[in-house]
Amino acid sequence: MDTVLTLDHFSKIYPNGRGARNITFSVERGEVVGLLGPNGSGKTTIMKSITGLAQPTEGKITVFGAPAADRERALAKVGALIEQPALYENLTAQDHLAMAARYYRDVDRARMDQVLEIVGLAPYKKERCGKFSLGMKQRMGLALALLSRPELMVLDEPTNGLDIEATVEIREIIIRLAREKGVTFLVASHLASEIEKMCHKVLVLHEGEMLSFDTKEEALRLHPSLEDYFLAKVRDKKGSVIL
Amino acid sequence: MEQFLANLSNELFKLRKRKKYLVFLILGCVVCVVSALRVLLVNFLTDGGVDPEAVLGNLMSSNLTFVLLIFLPLMAVMAASDLFVSEQADHTIRFALMRPVGKGKLFFSKALAVFVLCAVDLGVMYLVTTLAQVVLGGGTAGILTSLGACLLDLIPLAVLILFFCLLNQVGRGSGLTVLLCLVCYIGLLVLGTYLPAVGGLVFTGYLRWHNLWIGITLPFFSLLPRMGLLAGYGLVFACGGYWLFDRKEA
Repeated sequence: MDTVLTLDHFSKIYPNGRGARNITFSVERGEVVGLLGPNGSGKTTIMKSITGLAQPTEGKITVFGAPAADRERALAKVGALIEQPALYENLTAQDHLAMAARYYRDVDRARMDQVLEIVGLAPYKKERCGKFSLGMKQRMGLALALLSRPELMVLDEPTNGLDIEATVEIREIIIRLAREKGVTFLVASHLASEIEKMCHKVLVLHEGEMLSFDTKEEALRLHPSLEDYFLAKVRDKKGSVIL
Repeated sequence: MEQFLANLSNELFKLRKRKKYLVFLILGCVVCVVSALRVLLVNFLTDGGVDPEAVLGNLMSSNLTFVLLIFLPLMAVMAASDLFVSEQADHTIRFALMRPVGKGKLFFSKALAVFVLCAVDLGVMYLVTTLAQVVLGGGTAGILTSLGACLLDLIPLAVLILFFCLLNQVGRGSGLTVLLCLVCYIGLLVLGTYLPAVGGLVFTGYLRWHNLWIGITLPFFSLLPRMGLLAGYGLVFACGGYWLFDRKEA
């Protein structure tokens, strides 16, 4: 297995003191790694730094062997959806895909139609994204992330705003792409059940600190669920019982 | 270069999709045509006693003050604000930031897109004005000179656009940044007008760059310091703007 992503003593501290501190982990090709933590635990900070939206305060990030600061090399095989999708209200779904396609050599119209089919937005491709519901925007964000056939996908709360059916669909897409195409995923969520259903490894974050990084099997060996695993890790950190 | 061109195409596409630029261009053209229609008024008042060629000759050159000092700076302020600070505010800048393209290429392709928009507008207004001049009987006097003037004036326009791009990295809200750009621009223009000694040192004093080259031309060597000054301003604005853009987080 080859390493796709490495964070080495990475820290990103914002002026308000929040962020992520001393994070070290690596992700191998084909793995689905979940970042589990409550709001404000540093999940988005890590993802923003991997995708070049934020710059580390300390440490380094390597994506496909290139430092994250070397954006053209590091992001060439990365698809990302961070927080809410970046969509222009006055442009259609098709416009967005056409614009994104210009950055990649091997993306043609057929691929654009294909990703719209995958996320279920094909009937709405000529509609302006400003008219989309939250769920549709999220699907559009996924379509944009999938467009370039990325080898690493960085997804921050990918099922945010989606209904149950769509949530299951997205989860199945992730599992299928990882298994059949060997796509590596880094998925952030504050829902332990979601991480449990699709990830091979789980990284627990709390108040900007990394509490653990284990395989799902290891985490579930001593705990009945990832939720219990998460609570145990937080409890260990605080040294007191959490009700 | 491929990524730079890809982003440039996207920026131009976004500008093209905003109707306000087309509306403003039409308004600008209307102003140019109305300025040509004065020949009809003069003809009416003098009972056909004035030669249309005398009134309409070199029409574009006489319209250049409006185009260069008012119309194009307004377009540049709006476009720079749409491509920089507005995208930063609504996070749509992430669309490009999450793609494999360097921040330097992003910054300069956005600045170039604003320049292309202004250059196209200038070209369209030149064509409309020239057409109005010919149709209303002004003949073809000064058409080539005006074309040369337009081409020369693109140089200080590029510096002005880089200045607006720099200010867009300082401002936060879209409205406030537009205001900041306009206040700075008008301030520099007024400064140059009322303090002629300072006017020669401020880049806005060279927006009608063709005045130095067409008509009463100065010796080339006396123009060199002015060219250096303009190039210096351009370099400082480009470097400062890029530096601030690179430090910004989305």
